[in-house]
Amino acid sequence: MRIAVGAAGVFLIGVGLFFLLPLPGLLGVVVWFAGAIALHDVLIGPIVLVTGLLVARLPDRAVVRGALITMGGLVLITIPALLRPGPSPNPTVLVQDYPRNLLICLAAVAVVAVVLVLLRRRR
Amino acid sequence: MNPTLPQFRGRLHDARTAVAIGRWLGSAVVVCFLTGLISHVLQHPPGWMTGLLPVRPAWGYRLTQGLHVASGLAAIVLVMAKLWAVYPRLFTWPAFRSLPHLVERLSIALLVAATVFELFTGLINILQWYPWPFSFTQTHYAVAWIVAGSLLLHLAVKAPLIRENWRKKKADVDAADRRALLAGVGAAVGAVTLTTVGQSLSALRGFDLLAPRSPDVATQGMPINRTAAAAQVTYASSEGWALEVAGPKPYRITLAELEALPQRRVRLPIACVEGWSADAWWSGVPIRDLLARAGAPPGTAVRVESLEVWGYYRVMEMPAQYADDPSTLLALRLNDEVLSLDHGYPARIIAPNRPGVLQTKWVSRLEAV
Repeated sequence: MRIAVGAAGVFLIGVGLFFLLPLPGLLGVVVWFAGAIALHDVLIGPIVLVTGLLVARLPDRAVVRGALITMGGLVLITIPALLRPGPSPNPTVLVQDYPRNLLICLAAVAVVAVVLVLLRRRR
Repeated sequence: MNPTLPQFRGRLHDARTAVAIGRWLGSAVVVCFLTGLISHVLQHPPGWMTGLLPVRPAWGYRLTQGLHVASGLAAIVLVMAKLWAVYPRLFTWPAFRSLPHLVERLSIALLVAATVFELFTGLINILQWYPWPFSFTQTHYAVAWIVAGSLLLHLAVKAPLIRENWRKKKADVDAADRRALLAGVGAAVGAVTLTTVGQSLSALRGFDLLAPRSPDVATQGMPINRTAAAAQVTYASSEGWALEVAGPKPYRITLAELEALPQRRVRLPIACVEGWSADAWWSGVPIRDLLARAGAPPGTAVRVESLEVWGYYRVMEMPAQYADDPSTLLALRLNDEVLSLDHGYPARIIAPNRPGVLQTKWVSRLEAV
C-alpha cells in the first residue's frame, strides 16, 4: 500500500513535469521555485520563530500567540493587494481600501484577544 | 550535532503537531487540487469529455471555483503553520546520511517549493496581476500535478510517523499548549476565510474586507473581468452590427430583429476563475432558437466568435448540451438594462455552469458545428 502510494506520487510528479517542461519561460519557473523556498526559509521562517521566542515568556502567551498567527495570516493574504503597482486597468478589481480594511481586521483580532484574556483571568 | 547550526528548544516542533496541522493542510490541498481539475476540464475539456460536461446545477462552477480559491487561501495559512512546525528539520545534521535520505530531502524541497509556488501565484492571480515571465494558467496547472504527486510521495515516506501520531498520546505534557496553538491556527484560517469568502458566498458579503473583488462594486449589478478597453472593443466596432449565424441555412440578423424575437429571462451566475461570482437576471434569445433558425438540428454544438481584436477566448466552443439548454442565451440585457459596452454590448453569451471566460462578450458570429 505504502509503496503503491509512493509510486503513484512519483507518477503524478512525472505528469506535472511532462506538462511543465515544454512550456516557455521554464527558467522563470525554476527561479520562482527557488525563490519560494528562499522567501520562506530565509525570511518568513526566521521572523516567525523570533517572534515566537519574544512572546514565549509573556503571560497569556496562548492567546497572544493565537492573535499573532491570525494577524500574520491576514497580513499575508493582503500583501499583494497592498503592493500591486499602478492603477488597475479594471474598475471592479481591487475595489477596496485595503490598508484601512486590514487595520480594521487587525484591530478586531486585538479586541477579541483582549476579551479572551480578561475572560480567562476572571475564571 | 553541528555547533554552528541553530538549536530549537520549542517543544511543539514535534511530529504530533506536524500531523495535526498536516491533516488540515492535506485536506485543503486535496479540495484545491480537485476543484482546480474541475475548472481545467470545464475550460479545456479533452475531446472525449466535451459531451459529458454537466449543464446542471447552474451554480456548480460557482461552488467549485469559490471552494478552489477559499481552500487555497486557507492553505496559505496552514502551509506556514506546517513549515513552522517542521522548520528545525531544515538543519538536520549530517545534511545527508545516505542516498535514500538525500532523495527524501530533495522530495521535501520539491513539495515545499511547488506548494508555496502554487499558492503564491494563485494569490497574485486573483488580483489579475502577472509579474512573472511564464504563462499563469499552463504553469499553475502543471505544477498542481507536482504538488499532488510530491504530497502522495511525502505521505508514503512518512506513513509510519503519521500513523504513530494520528491519535493523541496518553501522557503528553504538551497537549494543552498544542491545543492552544491549533486553536490559533484555526482562528487564522477562520479569519482569512471570513474576510474573503464573501466575494463568492453572498451570505457573507458584508465581511468581504480583504478580497480583491467585491461583487457590490459593479456596473449594472455585475463586476467585470475583461473590460472593453482591454479587448479593444468600442461602440464604433459594433456600428452596423448584425449577428452572423452559420449553419445549413446561414443568415444575418440585426439587433432590432433580435429584440423582436421571443425573449427569455433567466437568473444565472457569472462565476470567474479568479473565484468571485455573482447572480444576475439576463434576457435575450435562447441559442437553440437561433441555431434552429439556421436549420441546425437539436444536439448541435456551436462555435462563438467575438468582436474583440485579440484574446485567448476570442473564439469559444460550446458543447451541444449547453447550446440545447433553454436557459443558454444570446443575452441582450443584464438586470433589465441594455448591456453596457463592458458587459458585452451588443450581445453576449450566458450559459449555466460554465467558467466566466467562456461567457463570450461582444458576440459577432455563431457557427453550428
